[in-house]
Amino acid sequence: MDISFEHVTHVYSPKTPFEKRALDDVSIHIPSGSFTSIIGHTGSGKSTLVQHINGILKPSNGTISIGDFVIKANEKKQNLKALREKVGFVFQYPEHQLFEETIIKDVCFGPMNFGVSDSEATKRAEESLKLVGLPSSFWHRSPFDLSGGQMRRVAIAGVLAIRPQAIILDEPTAGLDPRGREEILSLFKDLHKNLNMTIIMVTHNMSDAANYSDQVIVMDGGKPLMADTPQNVFAQAERLRKVGLDIPESMEFLKMLTEKTGERRTITAFTLDETADAIIDILNGGKEHV
Amino acid sequence: MEKIIEVSGLSYRYTEEHPWVLKDINFTVNKGEWLSIVGHNGSGKSTLAKCLNGLILPQRGIVRVGGYNTADEKTIWDVRRLVGMVFQNPDNQFVGATVQDDVAFGMENHGLPREEMIKRLSEALRLVKMDSFAKSEPHRLSGGQKQRVAIAGIVALQPLIIIMDEATSMLDPEGRKEIIQTVRALNKEHHLTVISITHDLEEAIHSDRLLVMNDGQIIREGQPRDIFKSTDLLKKIGLDLPFAIKLRNALRAKGVPLKDTALFQEELVDELWTFHSNM
Repeated sequence: MDISFEHVTHVYSPKTPFEKRALDDVSIHIPSGSFTSIIGHTGSGKSTLVQHINGILKPSNGTISIGDFVIKANEKKQNLKALREKVGFVFQYPEHQLFEETIIKDVCFGPMNFGVSDSEATKRAEESLKLVGLPSSFWHRSPFDLSGGQMRRVAIAGVLAIRPQAIILDEPTAGLDPRGREEILSLFKDLHKNLNMTIIMVTHNMSDAANYSDQVIVMDGGKPLMADTPQNVFAQAERLRKVGLDIPESMEFLKMLTEKTGERRTITAFTLDETADAIIDILNGGKEHV
Repeated sequence: MEKIIEVSGLSYRYTEEHPWVLKDINFTVNKGEWLSIVGHNGSGKSTLAKCLNGLILPQRGIVRVGGYNTADEKTIWDVRRLVGMVFQNPDNQFVGATVQDDVAFGMENHGLPREEMIKRLSEALRLVKMDSFAKSEPHRLSGGQKQRVAIAGIVALQPLIIIMDEATSMLDPEGRKEIIQTVRALNKEHHLTVISITHDLEEAIHSDRLLVMNDGQIIREGQPRDIFKSTDLLKKIGLDLPFAIKLRNALRAKGVPLKDTALFQEELVDELWTFHSNM
């Protein structure tokens, strides 16, 4: 299920003094089964962009295709329910939306809304809770007695139980401690790898964007400034800095070091291991690499 | 050194059926210091913060702020005047229709005379570098700017202590830097005592002192440089390590003979550079 935007513009509060062009002639492509990160300064249009993918917002101009679905500006309402079964959306702080008496009931709520039978919903809920790694001893307890990280995993299980083909994550690790962050990110890495799910992640964390994605889209002033592999995007530190973004801390570190040693080159390294190898190369006299 | 907060034997649980969230906590805070409290989600950090301005009263033990016992109803407002708190979500703490209304709100509650309010308002906005936004509405501001307004509202009340309860965790990297710089200036130039509850270890390494919490207890207390030597313990309780330490360990594992002292990235760069020039 490929996702593409063609000349999409979105204007908030049109024809009022508060009119704001949040997306400005956006054309992008998100291939089926890819892990795409969307980065950009606050107010750059990241959230507006992803809210078009499952029909929360409609374009003021242009066309969005999500597999067979086509959403066009000025066209009558589509069958959005069917679209939302294919594209799941994990909002910021999704644990604030938990409401049921038990964890299992909460996870069943999503699929049942899409007309799935009780027994099928329960089956899917159990499957999803296993995917997010919540032990069955918890399933009949109240979701409100869980830790923040666990509550977030339950909320994510609720979206997974709908069995979407693509999932949108709006800052999925905000407010979590380092262990919680790591758990959530490896969960999506596995879903991407094992179930070939398309993942679209809005993030402020450059290291996460670098380490987990195949494609990074940089938004600035409602336009996509770059859409490329993390290697190619983060090699352009100056352009990123101009739009208020950083490079991953591994590359910041290499930059500090190469400024001292007087080598004028950009080294792309994202993981600790790659960074350590790049440093050893520099210490060995800066032989060519990468 | 003058102790501004003294906590002894503090225990707390939300209801009788629930386990103790804080278990026999003892520590003091020195006047003018920057103290960071780290620990995983659910370790009791935020509950502890709420004990420090009397939002929560101890069920066992005593919390003294500027000499006042927080459990004493007669002086609770003196305690709250001494301690300002910045919370996590910038949108939940904006009450005014404009920036200046928002900053004035706290002063109005404390019944300050109008002339004094006007004077303090402009001072506070200047300190957080938001003076050019005095008449702006909140939805025109970024998260970092809103948090700076929240800080101005606190500064205007001239407290001795500011507590940040994960005040930067919902901000983008730029907003985070703005807040840290603002609060650092208040700490260094205006000698405000800062208590920062945080997951951001790159921020925590710059503090004067660190408390590590786990399961309702303080398990380590000391200078960041000493605490981050216990890498195994920190990992075990679900905390990450600062980048320089992770990288240093990765380099040592690959046979680069580095010392185990570097805490800041600049230190590690210097150490590596010395290597490079000697080769």
